[in-house]
Amino acid sequence: MAEKSKPTAAAPKDASIIVKAEKVNKYFGSLHVLKDIDLEVRKNEVVVIIGPSGSGKSTLLRCINHLEKINSGHIFVNGRMIGYYEKDGKLIEESEKNIAAQRADIGMVFQRFNLFPHLTALENIIEAPLNVRKIAREQAEEDAMRLLARVGLAEKRDQYPNQLSGGQQQRIAIARALAMKPNLMLFDEPTSALDPEMIGEVLSVMEELAKEITMIVVSHEMGFARAAADRILFVDEGMIIEDTTPDELFTNPREERTKVFLSKILN
Amino acid sequence: MYHFDWAVFWHYLWPGTALQDPLIRGGLIATVVVSVIAQLMGVILGLFAALGKMSKFSPLRWLAEAYVWYFRGTPLLVQMVLLYYGLGVTHIYDFPNLHLGLLTITGAIQAGTLALGINEGAYMAEIVRAGIEAVDTGQMEAAKSLGMTYGLAMRRIVLPQAAKVIIPPLGNEFNNMMKTTTLMEVISAGELFFGFNQINARIFKPFELFIALSMYYLALTTIWTVIQARIEAGLGERKGTAKTPGVFDRLFGTKFGAH
Repeated sequence: MAEKSKPTAAAPKDASIIVKAEKVNKYFGSLHVLKDIDLEVRKNEVVVIIGPSGSGKSTLLRCINHLEKINSGHIFVNGRMIGYYEKDGKLIEESEKNIAAQRADIGMVFQRFNLFPHLTALENIIEAPLNVRKIAREQAEEDAMRLLARVGLAEKRDQYPNQLSGGQQQRIAIARALAMKPNLMLFDEPTSALDPEMIGEVLSVMEELAKEITMIVVSHEMGFARAAADRILFVDEGMIIEDTTPDELFTNPREERTKVFLSKILN
Repeated sequence: MYHFDWAVFWHYLWPGTALQDPLIRGGLIATVVVSVIAQLMGVILGLFAALGKMSKFSPLRWLAEAYVWYFRGTPLLVQMVLLYYGLGVTHIYDFPNLHLGLLTITGAIQAGTLALGINEGAYMAEIVRAGIEAVDTGQMEAAKSLGMTYGLAMRRIVLPQAAKVIIPPLGNEFNNMMKTTTLMEVISAGELFFGFNQINARIFKPFELFIALSMYYLALTTIWTVIQARIEAGLGERKGTAKTPGVFDRLFGTKFGAH
């Protein structure tokens, strides 16, 4: 916020950089939730973010598709600044239409699923392809059925969300996000609202997905991180404290507070 | 002792005889049609006012706030005479009679309907807003994350869910509306009350006539209560939500409001 002569931000030239955050700051009132965050995520990378509650990890994720505004810094997604354009060194919020178009290429999965309760599983999945992408209904349904089969729920196509278990709802939510053919998927604690016996089914879908799409996942599922993550970030008090491989983090954490946090979640 | 004139009473209670009188036939039609149109106007105005009140654009918000403030804060009867006589005397709009083929819509009916609809919009605004606010904020976020604009998300995702919360009080508003149309009598709009009043001026049997008249309103609201119960049961069934009160509970006020 206080930078006076900042260089004009330039979108990353390297097309393999899907997400690039530069000196991102975010406040909730007087609370400084993100402090000078720098982050780069490359194509097909899977990045897991861990950290204590209130550390800013979900906020960081929500800034990447502009569900949260930022106070300073820049976030580029797919080579374009998200949510803002710059004029005379100032961030000016993009039009609603442009923001919507940018978000269409970023899939998001929420902790509480947020399926549309008045629509069936199939209708949930085709809603945005039909009305945002303007895809023909037959095509949208065909794609949706393929996605439903992929998450193992083809037979649930006509069920309403309240007729499905939490794990099933979350798998439908993943299919719904994938139906927009995003090139980046954001997961905001996708298993923390689930009963323990349903976590596995969601994680196995995510592990399969991790092989082919760029993902940023806020999650404390260490098994998933070990199996699928290329990098793991430890976020605390609005800063990225560690940015390393899962193996390195588990065997050789650099910072004391990382050790303390890991010992808490691993036991 | 007062001699109750049963012949007059039955004549004007029984639709077979009463509706032969054009004052009553026309009045009944006017009451129903005006109620429906004014309520529809109220829903549409209420929707825009609710969205205006929630807008980030402050002039729009102030406009919506002022609308609700004025129309809920002043008597409907005053609004109605202001609209009809006020606009007429200033020649801003004279409410001329509209001739649509066989049908003539008098200026008083137009003014009355307009006043009822605008007034209703102010009340509907609060109902619609409560309905929208009852929808989980995660729904709007999920819709936006899929690339929907605010308008599309509102139309396709939020409002269909809000409807479930809006429809029960909307039904009650319509029930009220059918009774409130009687206020149009003061501007001589030819609705049901006006019709009976005209007949009373001719034969002076107020006790018999107005009991019969009250029965017409009771019939209208009872029929509506049955329709409303059906609509709400249909809504609840599809979404698997809690049972809605039955017709009996609605008519006699038992268990009502327990949602």
